[in-house]
Amino acid sequence: MDLSLETRHEDGRTIIEVGGEIDVYTAPRLRDKITELVSEGSYNLVIDMQKVDFLDSTGLGVLVGGMKKVRAHDGSMRLICNQERLLKIFRITGLAKVFAIHDSQADALAER
Amino acid sequence: MSAGSTATATGVTVSIVRDPALVRTVRLVAAAVARRAGQDEELVEEIRLAVGEACALLIGDEPDAAKSPVTIAIAVSDRISVEVVSHSPADVKAPPHSGIDGVERWALLRGLVENFAVEQAGPTTTVSMSWPIT
Repeated sequence: MDLSLETRHEDGRTIIEVGGEIDVYTAPRLRDKITELVSEGSYNLVIDMQKVDFLDSTGLGVLVGGMKKVRAHDGSMRLICNQERLLKIFRITGLAKVFAIHDSQADALAER
Repeated sequence: MSAGSTATATGVTVSIVRDPALVRTVRLVAAAVARRAGQDEELVEEIRLAVGEACALLIGDEPDAAKSPVTIAIAVSDRISVEVVSHSPADVKAPPHSGIDGVERWALLRGLVENFAVEQAGPTTTVSMSWPIT
């Protein structure tokens, strides 16, 4: 499965719904999308990973890079992830403590 | 883009050029071998992730299709053993190539795979991982 990216704006946040595999081949597309959104002035991002099937450290690096970009503009990045196999990757690398990870879009959007 | 594979009595060996697009193919092969060995989906997923991660780290060092290929040997006996070999230098102590500040380069594999080792001998880097057959 390739990477799919769908973007929409809601309640002052920009939601990127990511599907498929975020790996060494596809991660640059996610990085480019985040860079594009930040350059357009979207500094509060919600990355919805509920339909992500695979994530490696290249993908993690893109997420960390994205968070740095939005924080440079006093923005925020929240992740939506409810799959244990992906949550395990965040825990192993210690990044579960770095990212705000939510179970659902409703939960993520409820946070300010 | 090219890939070759050889089936053996005890597993599969795949050799890929340094093209990130081919890493997915290797993941699929690793998962198929693990399933064929009768492993549950949790372990199949772990092996898929580990093999993909090892390939990503080694190919990511030098994503140049003109350079030497990366070879992935998956053997099944009383364990599922995987060796990922790159014949191009990769500094095993280098900072994380993935760009994750503060996260050691091999952290995901070290945390994921109980039996994990990475060795460098001259220009050859070998990542070795294995799992008991359950």
